[in-house]
Amino acid sequence: MKNLNKLLFPLAVLILTTGACKKDYLLTTPTDAVSNDAVFTTTTNAMAALNGIHRSLYIQYSRQEEGGQGAVNLNIDYMGEDIVNTVSTTAFGVHKWVTHRSASNGNNAFIYTFYYRIITNANLIIDNIDGAEGSDADKKAIKGEALTYRAWAHFVLVQVFGKRYDAAGNNTQAGVPISNTSKVDEKPGKPRASVEAVYAQINADLDAAIASFAGATDRPNKSHFNINVAKGIKARVALTQGKWAIAAQNALEARTGLTLMTNAEYLSGFNSYTNQEWMWGSKQQEDQTTYFYSFFAYLGTFNSSANRTNPKRINSVLYNQITSTDVRKGLWDPSGTNAAFSLPVGVVTSSAASYRQRKFAVAGTTSVGDVVNMRVAEMFLIEAEARQRLALAGAAAEEVTAKNVLFTLAKNRDANYVLSTNTGTAFLNEILVQRRIELWGEGFRFFDLKRMDAPVDRTGGNATVALSGVLTVPAGGAEWQWAIPQAEIDANPAIGPAGQNP
Amino acid sequence: MKKLLQSLFVLLFFAFSAMAQDRTITGTVTSTEDGNPIPGVSVKAVGAQGVAVTGNDGKYSLRVTSSTKSLQFTFIGYVTKTVALTSSNIANVKLDGDATNLQDVVINVAYGTTTKGKNTGSVSTVGSEKIAERPITNLNSALAGAAPGVQLNAGSGQPGSGPTIRVRGFGSISASNNPLYIVDGIQYSGDISNISADDVESISVLKDAASSALYGSSAGNGVILITTKKGRKGKEQLDFRIIQGVTSRGIPEYETVGAYEYYPLAWQAYRNSLVYPVTGAGLPLATANTRATNDIKGLLFNNPFNVADNAIVGTDGLMNPNASLLYADDLDWRSPLMRTGTRGDYSLSYSGATEKSDFYASLSYLDEKGYIIRSDFNRINGRVTINSRPLSWFKTGLNLTANITKSNQADADGSGSIVNPFNFSRSIGPIYPVYAHTPTTGDYLLDSKGGRVYDTGNLLTVLGVPNRPSGAYAGRHILQETLLNSTQIKRNVLGARTYGEVSFLKDFKLRANLGVDISNYSFADYQNKIVGDGAPNGRARNTSTTTTTYTIEQLLTYNKKVGKSTFDVLLAHNNYDYAYKYLTGARNTQILDGNSELINFATTTDLNSYLNDYRKEAVFTRVNYDYDSKYFISGSFRRDGSSKWGPGLRWGNFYSGSAGWIVSEENFMKSVNWVNYLKLRTSYGSLGNDGLTGNNLDRSLYSLDYNNAAEPGILLQSLANPNITWETQTQIDAALEFGLFKNRLHGTFEVFSKQSSDLLFNVPLPLSSGLGIGNGTGTFPKNIGKMWNRGIEINLGGDVIKAGSFKWALDINWSKVKNRITKMPDETPTIIDGTKQLSVGNSRYEFWLRQWAGVDPTDGASLYLINPLSPGVAADTRTVNGQNYTINSNNALYAYSGAALPSYFGSFTNTFTYKAFSLAVIMNYQVGGQFYDSTYQGLMSYSGYGGSLHVDALNSWKQAGDASSIPRMDIGRSTFNNATSTRFLIDASYLNMRSAVLGYNLPKDFIGKIGLSKANVYASGENLFLLSKRKGLDPSESFTGVNSNNYTPTRIFSFGINASF
Repeated sequence: MKNLNKLLFPLAVLILTTGACKKDYLLTTPTDAVSNDAVFTTTTNAMAALNGIHRSLYIQYSRQEEGGQGAVNLNIDYMGEDIVNTVSTTAFGVHKWVTHRSASNGNNAFIYTFYYRIITNANLIIDNIDGAEGSDADKKAIKGEALTYRAWAHFVLVQVFGKRYDAAGNNTQAGVPISNTSKVDEKPGKPRASVEAVYAQINADLDAAIASFAGATDRPNKSHFNINVAKGIKARVALTQGKWAIAAQNALEARTGLTLMTNAEYLSGFNSYTNQEWMWGSKQQEDQTTYFYSFFAYLGTFNSSANRTNPKRINSVLYNQITSTDVRKGLWDPSGTNAAFSLPVGVVTSSAASYRQRKFAVAGTTSVGDVVNMRVAEMFLIEAEARQRLALAGAAAEEVTAKNVLFTLAKNRDANYVLSTNTGTAFLNEILVQRRIELWGEGFRFFDLKRMDAPVDRTGGNATVALSGVLTVPAGGAEWQWAIPQAEIDANPAIGPAGQNP
Repeated sequence: MKKLLQSLFVLLFFAFSAMAQDRTITGTVTSTEDGNPIPGVSVKAVGAQGVAVTGNDGKYSLRVTSSTKSLQFTFIGYVTKTVALTSSNIANVKLDGDATNLQDVVINVAYGTTTKGKNTGSVSTVGSEKIAERPITNLNSALAGAAPGVQLNAGSGQPGSGPTIRVRGFGSISASNNPLYIVDGIQYSGDISNISADDVESISVLKDAASSALYGSSAGNGVILITTKKGRKGKEQLDFRIIQGVTSRGIPEYETVGAYEYYPLAWQAYRNSLVYPVTGAGLPLATANTRATNDIKGLLFNNPFNVADNAIVGTDGLMNPNASLLYADDLDWRSPLMRTGTRGDYSLSYSGATEKSDFYASLSYLDEKGYIIRSDFNRINGRVTINSRPLSWFKTGLNLTANITKSNQADADGSGSIVNPFNFSRSIGPIYPVYAHTPTTGDYLLDSKGGRVYDTGNLLTVLGVPNRPSGAYAGRHILQETLLNSTQIKRNVLGARTYGEVSFLKDFKLRANLGVDISNYSFADYQNKIVGDGAPNGRARNTSTTTTTYTIEQLLTYNKKVGKSTFDVLLAHNNYDYAYKYLTGARNTQILDGNSELINFATTTDLNSYLNDYRKEAVFTRVNYDYDSKYFISGSFRRDGSSKWGPGLRWGNFYSGSAGWIVSEENFMKSVNWVNYLKLRTSYGSLGNDGLTGNNLDRSLYSLDYNNAAEPGILLQSLANPNITWETQTQIDAALEFGLFKNRLHGTFEVFSKQSSDLLFNVPLPLSSGLGIGNGTGTFPKNIGKMWNRGIEINLGGDVIKAGSFKWALDINWSKVKNRITKMPDETPTIIDGTKQLSVGNSRYEFWLRQWAGVDPTDGASLYLINPLSPGVAADTRTVNGQNYTINSNNALYAYSGAALPSYFGSFTNTFTYKAFSLAVIMNYQVGGQFYDSTYQGLMSYSGYGGSLHVDALNSWKQAGDASSIPRMDIGRSTFNNATSTRFLIDASYLNMRSAVLGYNLPKDFIGKIGLSKANVYASGENLFLLSKRKGLDPSESFTGVNSNNYTPTRIFSFGINASF
């Protein structure tokens, strides 16, 4: 009995303190993430996966030049002639045509991963949406958007890292890896597909997307895709491939039922997707700010530091081609001291800032603002250019149509615009100048030069070697291809060192 | 219960009956060596029950019966002495230092204590006496030079920060390499700077598998056992310690050029970019020279000289000899950011013990101001420890600690961050003033109140002073921002340890341990509205985390002595739960000045929270067997579960076996007089590591918090690896411990081999996999490959000179650790990891870099060996002495270029004592290995106007034919000329004086007058100097062998007093 007490007491201690031996003790659940298998159970959840992609277009990523699609747009325009720096800056160093040739350059890795991330997320949706619970119309809308993303992302990638698409044929040169399945695992990656194959994938996805949007639920807002945007991208792709008729047709269909903005809207800062002309844009709200990584910060309307206090400028040569009655003439300040340009305190006001912009203005207390990705005006410009190129190629009747298309747009911007009397190449050049003016800062110029196999020419205006590094770049050289990021070369033996651009 | 009462009565009876014949013996026990009193000596009446312990003053008092004929005095480190009693009631005793009892030194080990002799594992210990006189804020610093095989890096100098520790090399690649911390027996996940150094009795480093095996699953990287002080029997004791010091920069700055040297270098960089453009044809040299002379000020924006803008640098590239600076005193950005900081460290403790209970209570206050403005660390610590045996069969105790920490942090975390004072002040060109000056006269511009105006580099429009180019942080001002912003950490920590132990059935004990650590951490961050990231509206963030860890343990022990055999068996169960709650919110647009709480801001920019839970469960057992105190065998087994892994893979088995043999106890050794202690021991065992970042790695996850405006959004975060599980580290260890010549020379020779298998690795995925973004390459967690660490550790200690009152003791640690990867996954046999590449046959930190081959003397371009797989275009290829090179770093050949691991490393500690004086100096060293000096690379690159330059840039290539080892300055091609390559590798050897303490024991008759029993005054210094291959370079900054713009270690000079009443 005596010993029993001594045994019972320890036993009691043991029992009292052994509370945690339950079977599920080692089972924990994350609270900051959700399990993959829960995502594609319903269309509502799948929609969240799609919205994640939309959101990925405006996130403050790791480096300052990594603000999302707005940052990519800046890179693309900085390689052209039309944006001019106010100060020498290492940010957006692509302006000097050096850094993008370095495989270890952070910007190359950013652009590469930015789009492949979109593709991978889109692949998961494409492969799994059919099994989700929900209406067919919802599934069609979600799948159509995911397919459009996959096409668009491959399209940007191949233009940046691959050689230009040559309409004359033989596009066997290395493009980018095609990613079209959600079966991503730890296995090393895929090789660079030919430029031709990448475009084939892009077009197949766009066609599938356009088909999917038929009978799909309407998009909730302009951060989403719909059939018009898918056709608009199809038009861009066709224009790049030199498939003029397809480009013209899709551009026309894309803008059908849509209208151009008013002159008042034109001067309202390009920061709201409620603008009637916007077809696709990212909506940004204050708790999703990208701070000084923002597109608007870099264009110099959000006071904080070097890049941001120095408003970006327009090439004076281009500016001088804008007629004085054109609403767009008011987007830039040739003196640099115009007080009506109510920019934040600290932003440079001096002749050093001549031709500074106010096209894009920050929309909130931080650097937030909606970033435009597609507008009706671009569709007019694609159609006009494509038709005029068809005309130059022999279909003379297209020139009249082209003039009328351009007229609708140009008249909207400049009430004094009269139907162009230019013909042939001169009229094509008029369209292209309109395109440069209209799409300034929206991420087109490098792609336009590359697809047209045209040189960079920054001479004769306000660009200097000191700030721009180079004033001219001949067409067609190796420097038109960005270097494949070193991390991809290292971790993807299917590319490896031999797969690097020359 | 009945029996209990019985025994109680019996005890009382004995006590009363004994009293009648008692007498009380008192006396003082001192050391023959220095005459100092020895506290803690056990005084026992031979053949009777009575025991007393000497107090801090060496005094004891013991009641003895008339039958007691003699007293026995025992104390570790001294020869046991038996003294016959006389009629006198006073017995003063002098004890001789023990030259034979090395094996009796008590050490803390896993779940208990043992002696050095009995221990079969590899354990190194730092006692409280080693840290008592050092100004230690972060306890990790105490381990500098403590043991062979233990490596410390320099750590950050931010007050409160400390070094990182590696035990026996690098066991893991992607998982944690940090040792496990056990504080008072319980796994500790809190910040190590929460522990007051003055509360610490000892720190044990468990290095091999056998000594760590009971912590199996988490012990793969070694274990650090921290044991806090307990009350000692004897007189109740009041101790206090005051250390007062000053802080300053521990390592000098890199040497950068001054204004007069800078302008010509910038001129060259511009001129060369005109002559050697990236594309197209260059300008003729003469034209370019003229253009550079005319344009250079326009590019650098500021002309700090008294000469015209186009006359600063001549067309010959030389500085105008007539130029002198207008405000030479205002071009230094470092000094205004620095100060002489102060450090005050005060503690008071009260302790004592009776037969049945002991207690220790302490209170300490630490206030350290860093040498960078706005960096400090303020901590209040309290601790109460009580142990009691209220019943003969029941023991319990409570150890409660609480602390409040408040620390302002210099924003020195991000290496390239503009608000990092080290980065900004190091990188800004030497021609830009801190304050605005009138460009013509150079006079300070004053504001309406007569104060100087910070030159933020974008004041042209406002004040007409030149802007700065973006390479010189236009629009920013490190001094103003540091003063106006704030980054503050606050931590409230509560820790409790309690246990109940029941002895039963004679040889059994059952113990329950409960440990709780709660840490409330708050991080408040404010950026002002005037300048910097917060401008123009001001912004603030508050992050609050609560970390709660629980440990519950049940331990059953059985201890039995049969003849010469002693068995010691432990059987236990352990639960560990770590919960981390995170809440953060950020707002901008400050409403009123002077309040940085979120409520004072208008717009919310971020708000979210999450909770992470991580749990472990284990059952474990250990059997120790000791035969005749000569032969020792120990074995252990632990089965561990971790919530980190998926179903079916959660449990892992870990085990160890070890043996020891005290050769010197054998009869055949008794005749060998000069050998006092000789022991052989060996161990083998396997330990685990689950320290891979992230939980729920078995599942593919989508991250929340990617909402698209108001629509909920998620993005793919990680791929599932349902097979991921424990990483295992198997270690074999053998050692020879010895004490020779009356232990005048003692030490340990030890060898080990640690094999890591199923290595946890975040395998990099191709970027085109779509996981990861930008530099954050996507990864796939996997158990891949194998790696070993093998090493030799030597510890030698002894008295070099022992002459009269002078003694010179030297303690040397020498370690050689080799690391080798032996198996990589089939699909990725090589993995690039920053500047390293992992592959079979190489170490974990083997540099894999572009092969720089020098400078082309014709045009000063950097030459690289060509990668035959991507030879590049002909225009980039050069032939020098028949060998082909490329000037395009993109086409450079990558190759192995040496390892960051040193050939050997260690420490030596010299201790000199002369009478009451002592001087102890700890030196750390490392020999061999390579270091990638990325800070130097930054100072040699010039890709944007306005950045600073290292003095080596003065030796750059200048004209055709120059045989320079520094490529030409060229703003356009700096990226290529200064690409990451072998050019920036440097020998990693260093010698560092980590600590020096000069102490003096105040004479007893002097301090006795003011009631003190002991008092020691001292002067000490930490980080006194560092010798390395380049001024400014600290190769101990990181284990990876790459540096960054971190908070350079702090030097501390202090004076202190430790005293006891």
